[in-house]
Amino acid sequence: MIEIAGATKQYNTVKALDNINLKIARGEFVSIVGPSGAGKSTLIKMLTCEEKPTTGKILIADRNIAKLKSEELPYYRRKVGVVFQDFKLLPQKTVYENVAFALEVCDATDEEIKDRVPKILDLVGMLKKKDNLPTELSGGERQRVSIARALVHSPKILIADEPTGNLDPINSWEIIDLLLRINRQGTVVILATHNKEIVDRIKKRVLLMKGGKLISDRIKAGYCI
Amino acid sequence: MSWKTFTRIFKLGITNFWRNRWLSLAATLVMTLTLLIISIFAMMTLVISKTTDSIRDKMDITVYFNDSATVDQIVSFQHQIAARTDVKEVRYISKEEALVSFKNQQAGKKVADLIDPNENPLPRSLEVKANQAESLDQIATFLGQETFTPMVHVISYQENRVVINRLIGFTTFLKKVGWLFSGVFVLISILVILNTIRLTILTRKNEIEIMRLVGANDNFIKVPFIIEGLLYGIIATIISTMFLKIGMQIITPMMNQYLGMDFSNQMTNFFSGNFLSIFGMEILVGIAIGIGCSLISIRKYLKV
Ligand SMILES: Nc1ncnc2c1ncn2[C@@H]1O[C@H](COP(=O)(O)OP(=O)(O)OP(=O)(O)O)[C@@H](O)[C@H]1O
Ligand SMILES: [Mg+2]
Repeated sequence: MIEIAGATKQYNTVKALDNINLKIARGEFVSIVGPSGAGKSTLIKMLTCEEKPTTGKILIADRNIAKLKSEELPYYRRKVGVVFQDFKLLPQKTVYENVAFALEVCDATDEEIKDRVPKILDLVGMLKKKDNLPTELSGGERQRVSIARALVHSPKILIADEPTGNLDPINSWEIIDLLLRINRQGTVVILATHNKEIVDRIKKRVLLMKGGKLISDRIKAGYCI
Repeated sequence: MSWKTFTRIFKLGITNFWRNRWLSLAATLVMTLTLLIISIFAMMTLVISKTTDSIRDKMDITVYFNDSATVDQIVSFQHQIAARTDVKEVRYISKEEALVSFKNQQAGKKVADLIDPNENPLPRSLEVKANQAESLDQIATFLGQETFTPMVHVISYQENRVVINRLIGFTTFLKKVGWLFSGVFVLISILVILNTIRLTILTRKNEIEIMRLVGANDNFIKVPFIIEGLLYGIIATIISTMFLKIGMQIITPMMNQYLGMDFSNQMTNFFSGNFLSIFGMEILVGIAIGIGCSLISIRKYLKV
């Protein structure tokens, strides 16, 4: 489903990615680990098409997204959900409005929005707080809302760059649990993280990166640097 | 684009405008001032050039002949004048015609009866009209040539030339000042609006980033800023037209008093007669500046 072939990313003098080759199949849960500056976020930006590789191909469903035209980009973005460490919620909008906004700006009808938003909020366990503002929520709750927003287009791939970076262990585990649940429903989940305990407990495929290179790729591995 | 999408985009634009209301207010006011200045100068030039036109039309050079001049001389003189490209019309006025028009004048009525048509002391004359007021001077010089002096009694232009030249000078000056002021204010409002839109783009940086990430339609990201620019133009046009209307109502009585004539009708007629063109000009300039600045800012600060 995802294939990265010979991807390199050069930032001025820094080689953030160095000849990455990688395949991810339908329904997989992949964790990306590695020390700070290893290139995890850069790899994720290749997948979300925020950055283009200097050389190499990023194939998603056999299409090279490095060659996407800017008019095609919005439609690609609707097929991948993205979650960040800092949630990126709009502070003046309620939980419901934040999720609905993602549909509104993609030309969804009012009926679709009314139908879809409560279901997604229910899935992440935030339906009860749908009328709260982000400032009235805990970090874990905010991350659930941001996951709900990422899922609202029913993406085939969910990408999360350190989604637990700002959360305490209990909240972190709840978020990971949610990601695993989403993965069980068939969505590919790609998770970049520093958190050793989490990776150890997930027991899924782990990619280890260092200095822009892919060092190891193991199924059901633990976290080791 | 569906109607739903359109209303959503429009609402986003209005929300932006309102969320940055102080910035929007500043931008709108600068635009209002610009439009006001442009319309005031446009109106002044229009009024004055209308006045000049009517004066110009009345303005002519009249050449009065000595009674000793022969008809042949006068006819050949008339042909020479009519042959000039800057001359619009030459009209011969006979002694009889001169007497008729003299009798029609208020002041002439009393003495007219004293004049014996056979001993008519009024001179024959040629009335020369120019195509352009600016060329009256050249024509006068031509008429004043030495070859013609024996038959010419007097040239009446001399008396008017100062007034004519002043009026022409003033119109030219006003046009220049008008262009200069309008240009400067258009420039100022472009700079202010460019910056306003840049600031609103900056204040909405997070929102735009999120819109991008969730795959927002490009229209949702760009069009609200264009709507914002459009709003500056539309609101500024409405305010400045209102100011213009109020200003006219204040100025007209002052003019009436100063000139000792009732101008109210002319002013109202002028305003309502030219309302559409003034309003149309304002809204075109306003929208052009507003949308133009939005498009430039979007290109500069909203790189995909
Ligand atoms: N926009 C950029 N311009 C220049 N260099 C960059 C840019 N983004 C990343 N880099 C460099 O690329 C390298 C990889 O960065 P990246 O953010 O991918 O690391 P990371 O593995 O996500 O680190 P962390 O765990 O701290 O988030 C770093 O050396 C970084 O300085
Ligand atoms: Mg990172």
